[in-house]
Amino acid sequence: MHIIEEIKKNELVRNPSEIQKICLDKLKLNPLPNIKSELWRLSNKSKFSSFLDFSNINKESRMSLPYKNISPNIIRLIIGENSSINLEEETYSIRKLKDSEIIKYIKKNISNFDQNDHWSDLLNHCLSSKSNILGLNISGNQVPPIEIFSSSSSECFNAKTLILFCEKNCKVDLLQINIGNKNSSLSQSTYLCLEENTTINHGVVSYGEKKSNLLNSLNVIQKEKSNYSLGSIHFKFNYARFEIRINQLKGAAKTTIKGIQITKKNDQIATYTKIKFNGPNGFVDQINKSLADDKSHAIFEGAIIVPKVAQKTNASQLSRNLLISRHAKIDTKPQLEIIADDVKCKHGATISQLNEEELFYMRSRGLTLAEASKLQLSSYFKEIIECIPISKDRWDLLDVLLQEN
Amino acid sequence: MQTKTKELDPILEVNNLFASTEDLPILKGVTISVNPGEIHAIMGRNGCGKSTLSKIIAGHPSYKITKGEIKFTGQDIKSLEPEERAQSGIFLGFQYPIEIPGVSNLEFLRVATNARRKFLKKEELDTFDFEDLVREKLDLVKMDSAFLSRSINQGFSGGEKKRNEILQMALLEPKIAILDETDSGLDIDALRIVASGIKKISNENTGIILITHYQRLLEEIKPDYVHVMSDGQIIKTGESDLALELEKHGYEWTDNFTKEF
Repeated sequence: MHIIEEIKKNELVRNPSEIQKICLDKLKLNPLPNIKSELWRLSNKSKFSSFLDFSNINKESRMSLPYKNISPNIIRLIIGENSSINLEEETYSIRKLKDSEIIKYIKKNISNFDQNDHWSDLLNHCLSSKSNILGLNISGNQVPPIEIFSSSSSECFNAKTLILFCEKNCKVDLLQINIGNKNSSLSQSTYLCLEENTTINHGVVSYGEKKSNLLNSLNVIQKEKSNYSLGSIHFKFNYARFEIRINQLKGAAKTTIKGIQITKKNDQIATYTKIKFNGPNGFVDQINKSLADDKSHAIFEGAIIVPKVAQKTNASQLSRNLLISRHAKIDTKPQLEIIADDVKCKHGATISQLNEEELFYMRSRGLTLAEASKLQLSSYFKEIIECIPISKDRWDLLDVLLQEN
Repeated sequence: MQTKTKELDPILEVNNLFASTEDLPILKGVTISVNPGEIHAIMGRNGCGKSTLSKIIAGHPSYKITKGEIKFTGQDIKSLEPEERAQSGIFLGFQYPIEIPGVSNLEFLRVATNARRKFLKKEELDTFDFEDLVREKLDLVKMDSAFLSRSINQGFSGGEKKRNEILQMALLEPKIAILDETDSGLDIDALRIVASGIKKISNENTGIILITHYQRLLEEIKPDYVHVMSDGQIIKTGESDLALELEKHGYEWTDNFTKEF
């Protein structure tokens, strides 16, 4: 674990920034998360080690984008490559955050970070250089769709950070695409702050190449009457971990989370979610799907926390899982922690295989087993994919990627 | 067994068929032969093996043939996959059509139709040509085109599901259609629509096996032969008046029949 050794020896970063110093200090005593804790116990140790084995020396290389022809009204940003973005239009504005604003925001957050719970973010901030932090302030209700790319370079460990503030009444479609290049590790930390009455349709599409790893952390703060919708898909990583933390600051906000992880070969992909209501009348609807094939391992652990102050919360969490191979493994643990007594909360989990009767029905109409399975799987994906704000051009790319996998 | 058109080669021949599922014997020597243009009805108590016979002919993987043969247009089909049987012209109308959420009915019908057309060496249809064809066939079963945009059978009423089965039959133009209790759960009007659709689709080259409990479907579609099944065997075969006798006396009447084959 190259990176951990360097943290211990205090040699990870030369001339660390203020943020990096704080985070390195937090990790110095315990550079690794507690592998016996609920959050980390299922992580494959050898894969986790390989995630930390790459050098964090940043090789300068321009990212190769997965599709070229984009609509002119889509704003495309690449973390680590775009030096400035400032758009001031009649109906919206997008302003790059000042360094001082970014430092202030991250400092405020990390002061409350628990070493184990937020280990992914702390590591990210140890390694994420100033040029790899993108901060945006968005306002307006006619903001063009924004897509933000993040990638790792081969044989490297890259850390990228995105901070996005949405002003009151803002409405935006945001698509994040995380690409892991061959033999690499990517750490992506994202912070979204939704002011009152904001609506974000957020898509996260993450895929890798051979032996790539991903640590993807998403922190969302929602103020009252905000509406946050997340559609995510993670696939083709040797090791990937998607951590989602939603905090409804005063409740009375709406959260929808629909995600899928597809594991094949010997992959391990995990999703951990923590949704907390700090006020009444909050709403969350979450569906997490896993599809595990070959000898792979998919993990979902989700917690919905409803303290006493969060009366009239309406929460639903469902984990649906499909085991394609008898050697694949799925662990799932949806959880509710409810103190409030006037709430509607439900959760559930299913693990099943491809439905034999559905397959026979389609085959009895002349579809081959492969065609029938493909249709069945695409229907399994559809519910999630529909939540990803993605245009037809980009959907074609995703369609191709899914078919390859 | 008697056949109406002895000079023709049978479309389907089931000879002394024994089959089981999870080591439980279900079919215990079924023999039936269907010629082009013939309509056969199979009747019998619940659990006597009617549906199993239909699924085995269609190639359901849960059943194991332990003895006997199934010939379709003279070829033994035991080793064929369900899709190969369907592409070559065997159609099974399901007693309980399966709901498949998320899979578009229209896309499913198009892929299925093209699989059959490919086998028949006909040109495959693109989305636009297929829509023209399917709209024409919808009229046969009086279905609204809105059903096409929905998921397969999802949220369909019992009658709509059965009409969707007949629509599939119309599109696939099978050589033999085995319709497993297509009349169950239908009101009188829906039954007439379904029966009328079946009659319009069938022709002198098509064989039909109707699996049913009731005479009322056979009033709409008059069978050439009626077979009575009991405990995995066909115990009696007669003409259409046999169904009337069954309606009159009930299945207890058949308890004393000895196996005729």
